[in-house]
Amino acid sequence: MNRREAVRNVAFLMGGALSATTIGVFLEGCNSPTTKAKGSLFTEDQQKLITEVADIIIPTTSSPGAKAAGVGPFITMMIKDCYPDEAQQAFVKGLEDLEKQAKDEYKKSFLELTVAQRQELLGKLRDATVAATKVEKEKLEELDKQKTDPEKAKSQTENTGTISILPKDKPKMEPRFFSIIRDLTLLGYFTSEVGATQAYAFVEIPGRYDGCVDLKPGQKVWS
Amino acid sequence: MSNLNVKATAQNTYDAIVVGSGISGGWAAKELTEKGLKVLLLERGRNIEHIKDYTTAMKKPWEFEHRGKLTEAQKETHPVQKRDYPYTEFNESFWVNDEECPYTEVKRFDWYRGFHVGGKSLMWGRQSYRFSDLNFEDNLKDGHGVDWPIRYKDIAPWYDYVEKFAGISGKAENWPALPDGQFLPPMEMNCVEKEVKKRIEAKWNKSRIMTIGRTANLTVEHGGRGKCQYRNLCSRGCPFGAYFSTQSSTLPAAVATGNLTLRPFSLVNSIIYDKETQKAKGVVVIDSETMETTEYFAKIVFVNGSTLGTTFVLLNSTSDEHPNGLGNGSGQLGHNLMDHHFRAGANGRIEGFEDKYTYGKRANGIYIPRYQNMGGDKRDYLRGFGYQGGGSRGNWHADVAELAFGGDFKDQMTVPGSWNMGLGGFGESLPYFENKVFIDKSKKDKWGQPVLAIDCEFKDNERKMRVDMMNDAAEMLEASGAKDITTFDNGSAPGMAIHEMGTARMGHDPKTSVLNKWNQMHEVKNVFVTDGSCMGSAACQNPSLTYMALTARACDFAVSELKKGNL
Repeated sequence: MNRREAVRNVAFLMGGALSATTIGVFLEGCNSPTTKAKGSLFTEDQQKLITEVADIIIPTTSSPGAKAAGVGPFITMMIKDCYPDEAQQAFVKGLEDLEKQAKDEYKKSFLELTVAQRQELLGKLRDATVAATKVEKEKLEELDKQKTDPEKAKSQTENTGTISILPKDKPKMEPRFFSIIRDLTLLGYFTSEVGATQAYAFVEIPGRYDGCVDLKPGQKVWS
Repeated sequence: MSNLNVKATAQNTYDAIVVGSGISGGWAAKELTEKGLKVLLLERGRNIEHIKDYTTAMKKPWEFEHRGKLTEAQKETHPVQKRDYPYTEFNESFWVNDEECPYTEVKRFDWYRGFHVGGKSLMWGRQSYRFSDLNFEDNLKDGHGVDWPIRYKDIAPWYDYVEKFAGISGKAENWPALPDGQFLPPMEMNCVEKEVKKRIEAKWNKSRIMTIGRTANLTVEHGGRGKCQYRNLCSRGCPFGAYFSTQSSTLPAAVATGNLTLRPFSLVNSIIYDKETQKAKGVVVIDSETMETTEYFAKIVFVNGSTLGTTFVLLNSTSDEHPNGLGNGSGQLGHNLMDHHFRAGANGRIEGFEDKYTYGKRANGIYIPRYQNMGGDKRDYLRGFGYQGGGSRGNWHADVAELAFGGDFKDQMTVPGSWNMGLGGFGESLPYFENKVFIDKSKKDKWGQPVLAIDCEFKDNERKMRVDMMNDAAEMLEASGAKDITTFDNGSAPGMAIHEMGTARMGHDPKTSVLNKWNQMHEVKNVFVTDGSCMGSAACQNPSLTYMALTARACDFAVSELKKGNL
């Protein structure tokens, strides 16, 4: 029961659009090997950078933001424990690129930028990530179309009428720094004590189910 | 010396041995001990004590280091368990380490297992539906598989019996293809589900119905167990005892008789056949911690090791008289493997309930029982499917930009978004002889045993059905006024539904089946098999309730035969 819901709920939790890398890591269980027993993956400055980027993604509003919820160290730990080498490397490179871009555009380290400058920089990174993902998806769709085109399939296999109903392997998509840090910020924040109890509404033991209550003004999403 | 042996044998002798402590094994232990038999209940894995050992049950989301996600290290040791959603940090210790118990996939088969007292009764989905005569007659009507040796009237009183004890909440619908049961009060539908129900039943004039899920969750206190607290954390083990499991229900009843010996870490390797009596005389047990081998003896043996676990034990129990596995004169043992196919359906957005919300987390959804190929409904495939699903309101907002971030985005994420209604089909697969398991001696498990090879696939009938699983769902959502309807088919590998069954089927004829109508081996009269391996067809309903009823029924028969001196 609720098998499909389990996946959907993760998607809801993460604000709708999960990045392909995160789907691979959390929902499909990708098989890429990881190198164990490595030392610190991030420099101290990079750990600070992660914390600050997370706090731009989820800032303090009427409830505390990602920094107050301890999301920075959570992301560092998750990248080390739960992501394959390739994604780890992409993530580190993303941090380096972000720092470089800060220096190129503002002649300052990211950590010295104002909030507005940080937002502007991440906005550009977001737009670039959306565009690159779109191009990659279109390419994959084109490839997929060629594979399932019955005309072409006939020449490749005798069983054109019996397409497998096994789950298809999700196409491997490039891990992208901004998508990963956003995914982990949302996950880490909304499941933190701060996020779950202050941004969302947390009831540990509801004790009953009411399927139709009036939505009260200011009602938060249940965590 | 011989005196010592006699003494040891006496110490290791019981009236009955039950192999496996999951849903059906727990029932066998309860029924046999309550009828006065001294029972040895063997479990290959560790003990899990009710409540005390549900170590994650009361943890808050932020108390899980990885917030439920798997680490790379866990994925490496659990290459099969990680393939789908059940294996997470939330109940990680309930799932097997795949490296210790390998198997051969001739074709992809996802085998989800839990080695511990209670088996999968701790993690099961709890949906509990009766089979009807529509299901018991399908094999005979369309010629797939062999005729079920029972009909609904044979099992109906046993459904009553197990439901009363287990505690099944649900609503009576008077729908012939999904018989009503002994229900505790139903859980409530939410307002969107109520609307969808009304519109589907109106549009199809009640030739399709939608009911609240019938689930082994207690809606009121029952049998000394607490009622559901609506946390939706069942698969971690329930500290309130509010869903049926071996631990919450059958095991305490069996223990209370004083007739039960529970032995964890006891892996049954084979059943010992006695050619003099033509019966089983006991089992060979490997201590799964020390690797020490011991024999235990009994007058009757119930094999409840889960469908494929049981089948392995039987195939691995060879003798001159049973060279191809115990009771396998028919050659059917290991064949006719089935599972449900699912993960196809549709979702849509429901408007008009923006001022409504829910309170509490209901670990249950809605159910639309099979309506295809019955009444006037005719399809281009055999048998059919039912739907599970539900309405929900999360934080999905259509106007959130891709990869949005920042304060406005955050605040929007905390506000209830649109209502979604989803329907996912659970389809019957046919019993195909060539879908089979057999013993592969080229590999060994951690305990030195050969492994099972699984060669199973879904075929054209299932493939055709999946098209309707999507389209019918979309059609019903459309009739419900849903917007932005999308269909999905995420693919389904055999094993994924964790409803594997059929590899030691029941039947009238010893030439074409392994078990008779009492779940008794045709060829070895004191061996009973009452887990999923006994099933002659899969229907499309979740099967565990049927295993419970067949088990209680078989126990009643076995004890009466024992008393008559027939076993």
